[in-house]
Amino acid sequence: MASSSAAQPPVDNSPADARSVSDDSDSGNEEGWEDVEAEDDSQPVVGLFTEQVFPDVRSMLQECKEKHSFDLSKIQKDLGLDFLDTIKLVNYVRSEVKAGNKTPDVSSKAKFADNAFMKPVLEDDALLYSLDDIAEEDTEAAPGNDAERKVIELQENLDRLQTQFSEYRLAVQKSLADQLNKEDEKLEPGASVKKSPADKIEEADEGYFTSYAYNTIHESMLKDTIRTDAYRDFVYENKHVFKDKVVLDVGCGTGILSMFCAKAGAKKVISVDNSDIIDRAKEIVYDNGLGDVITLIRGKIEEVTLPVEKVDIIISEWMGYALLFEAMFDSVIYARDRYLAPDGLMVPSHATLRIAPYADPDFIASHISFWDNVYGFKMNPMKLNIYEEALVRCTESTSMAGDSAVFLPLPLHTITVDELTFLKEFQVTINQDIDALDGWAIWFDIFFMPSRDSIVPDNPIPSDMQKKGIVAFTTGPNGTQTHWMQTVCLIDHGKHAPKPLKKGQVLTGKIGYEKKEKGSRLLNLDIEWQDENTKSAQHWSLA
Amino acid sequence: MDGSGTPEPTGVIASSADRMVGMEHSEVRYFTSYDHHGIHEEMLKDDVRTRSYRDSIYQNRHIFKDKVVLDVGCGTGILSMFAARAGAKHVIGVDMSSIIEKAKEIVATNGLSDKITLLQGKMEEVHLPFPKVDIIISEWMGYFLLYESMLDTVLYARDTYLNPGGLIFPDKATMYVAAIEDGDYKDDKIGFWDNVYGFDYSPMKEIALTEPLVDTVEMKALVTDPCPIITFDLNTVTVADLAFKVPYQLTARRSDFIHAMIAWFDIEFSACHKPITFSTGPHAKYTHWKQTVFYLRDVLTIEEEEKVSGWLENRPNDKNKRDLDIDLSYKFETNDPTRFAEGSCSYRMC
Repeated sequence: MASSSAAQPPVDNSPADARSVSDDSDSGNEEGWEDVEAEDDSQPVVGLFTEQVFPDVRSMLQECKEKHSFDLSKIQKDLGLDFLDTIKLVNYVRSEVKAGNKTPDVSSKAKFADNAFMKPVLEDDALLYSLDDIAEEDTEAAPGNDAERKVIELQENLDRLQTQFSEYRLAVQKSLADQLNKEDEKLEPGASVKKSPADKIEEADEGYFTSYAYNTIHESMLKDTIRTDAYRDFVYENKHVFKDKVVLDVGCGTGILSMFCAKAGAKKVISVDNSDIIDRAKEIVYDNGLGDVITLIRGKIEEVTLPVEKVDIIISEWMGYALLFEAMFDSVIYARDRYLAPDGLMVPSHATLRIAPYADPDFIASHISFWDNVYGFKMNPMKLNIYEEALVRCTESTSMAGDSAVFLPLPLHTITVDELTFLKEFQVTINQDIDALDGWAIWFDIFFMPSRDSIVPDNPIPSDMQKKGIVAFTTGPNGTQTHWMQTVCLIDHGKHAPKPLKKGQVLTGKIGYEKKEKGSRLLNLDIEWQDENTKSAQHWSLA
Repeated sequence: MDGSGTPEPTGVIASSADRMVGMEHSEVRYFTSYDHHGIHEEMLKDDVRTRSYRDSIYQNRHIFKDKVVLDVGCGTGILSMFAARAGAKHVIGVDMSSIIEKAKEIVATNGLSDKITLLQGKMEEVHLPFPKVDIIISEWMGYFLLYESMLDTVLYARDTYLNPGGLIFPDKATMYVAAIEDGDYKDDKIGFWDNVYGFDYSPMKEIALTEPLVDTVEMKALVTDPCPIITFDLNTVTVADLAFKVPYQLTARRSDFIHAMIAWFDIEFSACHKPITFSTGPHAKYTHWKQTVFYLRDVLTIEEEEKVSGWLENRPNDKNKRDLDIDLSYKFETNDPTRFAEGSCSYRMC
């Protein structure tokens, strides 16, 4: 599951006035920033080697050159430093000087390669904010042979730097908050530091740390190679499909799919996510030099404003447990209807939901009968939940008492939100003698067709489709397990007395999906099933 | 005890959600995660844990006989039932989670309803049917002993309800640290972010380095002797004592690399006739608490008999008191300047 619907950071208890103060300071900061760009000459800056405050960056750097033999532009050129390297260089020099070393070793890039030097040593370091101006001046000073070509090049360069800069600024705000938090005691309110209210720092901090909780989720998703490989394979094996296209990534998470698309030649990738992870994604995209192709936007897809009217491709990893848990697919459908060009492509393009009869006496013994005697006590009431809640777990293919059947094909180009609430018929044949039917297992398969005109067969099997060169994967018990596992609905044997079933017996039934009223990310599952003479029905929730 | 370990998605069950209006989101998540029975199954099946409690109660019937007992965070009610079976006059079980509805049914099923009163709510808000109690029992321990722990609630119950001379089961907890060689796994957990499908994911690596990992550590991974860093005596400890900064020193038992520090805890029921203890360390039988692993940025190259020393500081996070901020500093002094190492790392358990 991607995390576009991930929880907001815990609500702060700070009083309303404190919040408004912090808002003011945010916007004040914003304006302060605009000022820097408009009239950079008047921006005072602290010296690199002294605590002296200079009226502008140029005079400060002049002093560094004359008195401390530190020529920033020369070092930049000699070591071939890009924007980020220069940021790190500045922070490195400042931290060395702060530690008492007035002649920091800048003989090689490796001295300040550590990303720790991304964190500013000084708050609101005017030097960092002026680096693009310095670059501009330098290039202005360059000899102009092919003047016209040079100007175009410079313009492009500047645009790129400005994009890079805005990315960096976001990163700085985050790391700054982190740093200030750590060095809390050094922060004396009212001193040289702008009277930035603690609330502002705390708010940024909260966002920063809230994202920690998601690290494990993103790790487990990225390490789910069945999932990530499938997206990668489709994108990289179909570069012609992505070349020069505008792509929308809904629920982009850490940005991996966006970066695949950018590498495959997309002209522009717009990536939307409503979770704090997007701040990490911005850093990652930037670190990988893809900041000029990928635009990351935080917000709900239903609420954000995209920089384009239409997109050629929508890529998304929206699948939840039992496919539709968390209801993120609704947002993908919204994005499709609102932004996808009429001949645009959905990636992936098709999904199928499957159901199979489940029999696993060992699991029943260890997880259900367990409650009959717990250290000498009867705990039968604990069994109730097991039948009310669908379980998400890895099952063995040997626990499937029959072949699975598709109960809902989902053509992603055309399916509507209304169709995600349904009651569908299914039929399965028991393929081994069992003492009892213990439940139903549900999973889904995913297909990546290269064109919206591609035809998918009625009962598509991922392994068969793969043989035809189609990228596809299953989340069923026959394939390598994925982080989606399978959803198991256990039958309450107290209400539906267990009875043996014979190989070859046919079971027919209906399965219904419905969003739970409260909190629409939860799902209600209803299954009815019957053999020759008995009809049964049970309800589960996936919460 | 610890709700974070469950792989199952946490959801808000209406019955308890209604009681949690106005609570912080993180608090709601904490309490509702107990509504899912998977976590209770895991805890009850943690035989080291449950058997230690059972033995400390059943082997001390003379202590429990005719006493009023308070079970803080009673869950499914297993400890309350142990105490009732051991002859307690009355047992009061308190839990915030809606699991208490199940506990009531379970207590009734076992014919103990007249001996056990179960109350749903926060310890600070419920009204007990007895003004004072003779014994407090509680299974309050979390990962790293203190993460999402209920110890502060137990201390509140002690200060408010425990008779002078009353007993607490268990009443002692000791935390330990040691250093381990863990190259392969560190590479898998931390190095992973260096190259994710050909992309540089270093911003995630920074985060990963701040997250302690709850996992089982094999005995053979230990490079140093363990060092006890702090003991809490529940009869006297205060909430303020739960934020602490303590030194440690570790002596290498063999020449190896150090990639991480680990922490665990031992629990003692010293009020028993014959004290009962259990350990959650790497040398002991598996418990659901496992061990807590803190990866270092550096790799230390240490030789037998050499020492690493430093400080471990723990404090609840200002924002969410169930989160822990942990700082770990280390200094490896050796005559070999190429191997000297010193540093400090900050972690957050959340």
